[in-house]
Amino acid sequence: MDYFKEFFKGVWEKNPTFVLGIGMCPTLAVSTSVSNAIWMGIATTFVLIGSNILVSAIRNIVPSHVRIPIFITIIASFVIIVELTLKAYQPAVYKALGIFIPLIVVNCIILGRAEEFAAKNNIPASILDALGMGLGFTLNLTVLSIIREILGSNKLFGYTLIPGMKPALLMILAPGAFFTLGLLLWGMNVIKARTARFKRTE
Amino acid sequence: MTIKNARNDNYDVINDNDQIIFLEARNSYYMKPADIVKATIIISVIGFISAFSLSFMKKITQEPIAKQEQEKKLAALALVLPGYTVQQEKTVTVDDTPFTYWIATKEENRIIKKAWAFLAEKKGFGGPVQSIVGVDESNTILGFTILSQNETPGLGARCVEVASNETFIDHFITKSVTSKEEVSWFQEQFIGLNAGKPIAIQKKGDWHKEMKDELLQHNAVTAITGATITTKAVTQSIEEGIQKLHKALTLQEVQ
Repeated sequence: MDYFKEFFKGVWEKNPTFVLGIGMCPTLAVSTSVSNAIWMGIATTFVLIGSNILVSAIRNIVPSHVRIPIFITIIASFVIIVELTLKAYQPAVYKALGIFIPLIVVNCIILGRAEEFAAKNNIPASILDALGMGLGFTLNLTVLSIIREILGSNKLFGYTLIPGMKPALLMILAPGAFFTLGLLLWGMNVIKARTARFKRTE
Repeated sequence: MTIKNARNDNYDVINDNDQIIFLEARNSYYMKPADIVKATIIISVIGFISAFSLSFMKKITQEPIAKQEQEKKLAALALVLPGYTVQQEKTVTVDDTPFTYWIATKEENRIIKKAWAFLAEKKGFGGPVQSIVGVDESNTILGFTILSQNETPGLGARCVEVASNETFIDHFITKSVTSKEEVSWFQEQFIGLNAGKPIAIQKKGDWHKEMKDELLQHNAVTAITGATITTKAVTQSIEEGIQKLHKALTLQEVQ
């Protein structure tokens, strides 16, 4: 098995938000500031790694009719671990992310990877898959939030960029998230189409 | 053969087919008793393991979480009652809802001054906005701080924003710490207002220091741009809170 490919597919070829189209809710909601985005990415990646390892470890003993409740139990446990840890040691982050920490349970990326990948592959491959998907998700959130934070609140990492300039408030609101997501999706597809054409002509 | 019979025959045929399809589906889909027992055991074991690990996790984090909340409360009280010493915490029932307030005193020129802090809460845009307000005997707000909120980031959540003069370039590129003045502007503008009177909301754009005197004259605050609902929730929670405080104090005197 090509381990590098398993890792890298989450970043580009099977990028969770831009290609598979899953995990949109946190992507749109939490990408208002870069620090939120990065923390959300870290939290999701942690849950993803944990659930992928466990799901992969028990994949041969779980009867297929009851696999979904079992996977969700595992995912929910990891989410509560993340929630309690953040609450205890990073209260500011917990406060900023609010409801989106418990909502990691219903993030399609995690159940999707458990069902599609971890339930069929061994533990090392599942860890790499989780790391790649988590990295892809974190990168998406970060890129989206950099654009939105600069345009929408005239800040980067919480520090004002141009003093005295009024930001385009729309970009921090829901429409801004959709605009940015649409443009990034377009850009990514353009690059993909170009590379595909380039390969064909070679 | 009558029409009725013919119809019945047709139905019988359909029913037979249905029966066959149903039986086939049932045989392939329904679990055997042994499978059901196995699935139940596995789900129970996994549920037990996760419950056990979560209660362990809860036990580890319980202490830091409680400590943090306590620290947060003490810091908030020190902030809203500057110079005063908190004497006691009280929770009474006002208008069928629990109401928490603190009594604080300060000695100034041999006169003991009293002040109170209370918890104010009102539903904002994304859930309750909870704050602590400190008032003195003339209903003047001594301090105000928001404890918890769940408002939209970039809009309502700016009620806890700390306006910093430090720019991105200052912080990361030139690394000069020339103008590091941090004010939580939304919360600061409540200081000095009269909570006994209605607090007006003016839409003057972002807060700056020069605005303060003008706003004080009108007993007003400037709304957070694009988040008037949050601002309104805060001012109303203060108005309701002070009424409850007075009710609670008269109740106490009666007793």
